[in-house]
Amino acid sequence: MNLFASKDDLIRWIGELLKEHIVIAPVQVQEQTLFQPISKAEEVVFDFNNTTLSPKGWFLPPTETLFSVQKDDGKVELVPTQVERDAVIFGLHPCDARGIALMDKPFLEEPSDTLYRERRNRTALIGLACRQAQPECFCTSMGSAPDDPSNVDILLTEVEDGYIVQVVTEKGKTLLPKGLAEYKGKVPAPPELKAVPTREVISAMRELFNDPYWEQVADRCLHCNICAYVCPTCYCFDMRDYADKGKVERVRSWESCQSPGFSLTAGGYDPRTTKGERLRQRFYHKLFYFPEQFQDVACVGCGRCVRDCPVNIDIREVISNLQQVTEAKSGS
Amino acid sequence: MGLESPFVPYLATLKTAIQLTPDIKLLNVELEDPDIRANFDYKPGQFALLSAFGEGEAPFGIVSLSLQKDGLEFAVRRIGTVTRALQELEPGDTLGVRGPFGNCFPLEDYVRKNIIVIGGGIGMAPLRPVINRILERRNDYKELLIINGARTPQDLVFQPEFPAWMKAPGTKLELTVDRGDEDWKGRVALVPDVVKELAPSPDSAIAIICGPPIMIRFTLARLRDLGFKDNQIVTTLEAKMKCGLGKCARCNLGEKYVCQDGPVFTLEQISQFLEQP
Ligand SMILES: Cc1cc2nc3c(=O)[nH]c(=O)nc-3n(C[C@H](O)[C@H](O)[C@H](O)COP(=O)(O)OP(=O)(O)OC[C@H]3O[C@@H](n4cnc5c(N)ncnc54)[C@H](O)[C@@H]3O)c2cc1C
Ligand code: SF4
Ligand code: SF4
Ligand code: FES
Repeated sequence: MNLFASKDDLIRWIGELLKEHIVIAPVQVQEQTLFQPISKAEEVVFDFNNTTLSPKGWFLPPTETLFSVQKDDGKVELVPTQVERDAVIFGLHPCDARGIALMDKPFLEEPSDTLYRERRNRTALIGLACRQAQPECFCTSMGSAPDDPSNVDILLTEVEDGYIVQVVTEKGKTLLPKGLAEYKGKVPAPPELKAVPTREVISAMRELFNDPYWEQVADRCLHCNICAYVCPTCYCFDMRDYADKGKVERVRSWESCQSPGFSLTAGGYDPRTTKGERLRQRFYHKLFYFPEQFQDVACVGCGRCVRDCPVNIDIREVISNLQQVTEAKSGS
Repeated sequence: MGLESPFVPYLATLKTAIQLTPDIKLLNVELEDPDIRANFDYKPGQFALLSAFGEGEAPFGIVSLSLQKDGLEFAVRRIGTVTRALQELEPGDTLGVRGPFGNCFPLEDYVRKNIIVIGGGIGMAPLRPVINRILERRNDYKELLIINGARTPQDLVFQPEFPAWMKAPGTKLELTVDRGDEDWKGRVALVPDVVKELAPSPDSAIAIICGPPIMIRFTLARLRDLGFKDNQIVTTLEAKMKCGLGKCARCNLGEKYVCQDGPVFTLEQISQFLEQP
């Protein structure tokens, strides 16, 4: 059953949620819209293009301490980071929710990442359907849709005078405010998106590995790693120790396969020394290795990398080009 | 919460550190928790991540044999930050251990075969437990030929064990160095050339190789010349690693994660990877 909430109802509801939860929602920070913990409901932005960074950082922070090393009388103790409070991510788009569902696959697979799992278990997702798509969006080619409710606990859809509240999971039910009326109107149709030939290309990936295309497309890559940092499904991470004034911590932080030296071993050997090999790794992980391992493409079509790559390396174009390469090969 | 994070290492104490070569030390490490110690079961070829707290963590083959009374052993070659810090630990100091990780050499499948073990430099580390397991179960295997190479005589790794290896029945130890010194009366030759010279037969044989990539490349070619098939040649792959859990994607090579699917592969398996090492 669908319920209805006016904008004022939503603001009151967020205020209620803030009493017991950390609420992470899109807020305006200078030029950017970012998911951040809020302190009052009025901060929330409802009408936004995809946020600069995806909400993955709540589960896999850009940097976080995994454990700290404490020394007491020469005796060493390792103190793991604990998750202190329940949280709600409010207003995430369906593509970002799917991004989280995809990150679950490696992180919840046994031996599961306890910190990730604990945050995941203690976080509810209240999604916001997209009434408008951006030019760079292609979620429908990547297993999601602007009105996809499958990876959230509650989905909100904006209508003329308020929001449709669709409760998806039991967890969602427990978060509902009292007194919302039933919504009897029509559910608006989602926007239409241009399609990308994902399926065709995935089935051809094995044959495309040694194609000269990779060096060509990667030639202009600056290995700035922006594509990986903005991406809701890129999850490579680094682990290092930091020692500061006697305080020792093991810290994990985002990394990217686009960094030169990412795969360089201490012995000096590196399987990926060229830009083409590294860019190919990004696309193969998304379009071939992840699907082989987990039966899903590791891209949700949010368009962030398309929007933010300083040299316009566009995954939609790469996929279309790969299809052309495949057709040219099978044609000749 | 109860459940332990897979990123938090077991605490361990350094018992002894023996200088094996100018840059390699044999560390004997005892896990602090008696229950964990009693259940820390592992196989030749598996590795662990050692932590020098404040410096970081790195992977090392476990060179002892499982459930040995006297702790876990690692042969650590000093090459960078973590390895230097591990070598600077004093007996009694605390370090961290995560593992065991990875697959192993399937020694049960090699029963009644001739085994050729070929190691270069620190590449002998994962081969030491292979040799010692075979010697422990000597009657299960036929001839054992060990070819061990290093840059100089001083760099040959497990010298204190050479007498035992040489004396073992049906076992031959062939040493070689790239550069000799006044006292060296043995071979001065590259490992691939020694393989060519000794020309072990591929009949009912398995060759296990570990060493620098260049040595592996040329040794493989010599073994193929001798008639070894790709499924008779086993090696370990080198890869940068961070998590050891198949999550950080650092060791990803084609469809494989070396930390989980490897590090041990036959040449036949490797030749089928989409991305070649
Ligand atoms: C499965 C497995 C088993 C292993 N077993 C053993 C073993 O039994 N014994 C053993 O000794 N080793 C073993 N190794 C290798 C060992 O893990 C490495 O030597 C170790 O990780 C080095 O760590 P480090 O911090 O000392 O070196 P690092 O400080 O990480 O680096 C070492 C070298 O690389 C250079 N370097 C680092 N980063 C860069 C960069 N970005 N660009 C250019 N150069 C750089 C440094 O200058 C230095 O010369 C094993 C590796 C694997 C994967
Ligand atoms: S954002 Fe563009 S330039 Fe930067 S690493 Fe990614 S593909 Fe290369
Ligand atoms: S690869 Fe690009 S479009 Fe796909 S999920 Fe990542 S950032 Fe979004
Ligand atoms: S070391 Fe992290 S995935 Fe293998």
